[in-house]
Amino acid sequence: MADVHAVETDHEEHESTGVSNLKLGMWIFLSSEFLFFGALITNYLLYSNRGGFTGPYPAEVYDIPFTSVSSFVLLMSSLTMVLAHNAFSRGDQNGTRTWLFATAALGAVFLGGQVFEFTEFIVNYDMKLTTNPAASAFYVLTGFHGIHVAIGVLLLLSLWGISRARGGLSQKSGLNVEMVGLYWHFVDIIWIVIFTVVYLLSLPPA
Amino acid sequence: MSAEQHHHPSPSQYWKIAGFLALVTAIEVALFYIDKELELGAMNAVLLVILSTLKFLTVVGWFMHLRYEKSLLSRFFAAGFALAMGCYVVVLAAMGVIVIRGA
Repeated sequence: MADVHAVETDHEEHESTGVSNLKLGMWIFLSSEFLFFGALITNYLLYSNRGGFTGPYPAEVYDIPFTSVSSFVLLMSSLTMVLAHNAFSRGDQNGTRTWLFATAALGAVFLGGQVFEFTEFIVNYDMKLTTNPAASAFYVLTGFHGIHVAIGVLLLLSLWGISRARGGLSQKSGLNVEMVGLYWHFVDIIWIVIFTVVYLLSLPPA
Repeated sequence: MSAEQHHHPSPSQYWKIAGFLALVTAIEVALFYIDKELELGAMNAVLLVILSTLKFLTVVGWFMHLRYEKSLLSRFFAAGFALAMGCYVVVLAAMGVIVIRGA
């Protein structure tokens, strides 16, 4: 067990760049994700207030107080994630497990909120995926973000499960905690942009 | 204690940063409702973009630790962001969604 509890964060294999290949690859992957989400946000902006289609438009049915709470939940999950990483770097295995689980739970709450929101829009407002191009763009953008959150929750629960089964995460897992953390924070910053551009700034057709 | 820990914020500092992020989010939501009453127009959009940029940079810098990492990672990250922004601003300008003065 000694090797399990001997935790450091500067254990990574270093390459000629001075950064581990895994970390460099993760940052390049996250960087490329800007293009992916940028395309979806641009698509939404192109159609969000283009008239001539049957409504309702997304901006007519948003529940801003509800989405604000969802955004707050996701923002706070970034705090619990960084606390998990911090606990791991201090060798606090119990703390790591607790904060990893808290992050996964907050992510699940966010996903539940998204399912509730989609259901409300479809059932109460009859805004379906094919109602108009703005609705399609909205569901595709927020849906893909939701898929990213779901993948993050699975990764977090995997780390939590491994930690529980083995009585702690090994020194080698340090980089995994960091990589999952980077992915999670990235999902959060994408939502920061979506919340502002899609929810707070978009207007229905005049 | 590892070298990395010497530079990273402490748990209490992380809580303070999260409090700051929550406060900025609250201001954003308040601005949304103020704009409904006072119709701030373009000023509302500018303020919301500034506030979300502040949140974005705070999460990237402190929670993702980019400010403590080698500049190579910052350059890769910024390059992807700049490429996406440049590409899609051109698309939005070409489609008339945003207007660039003098263009």
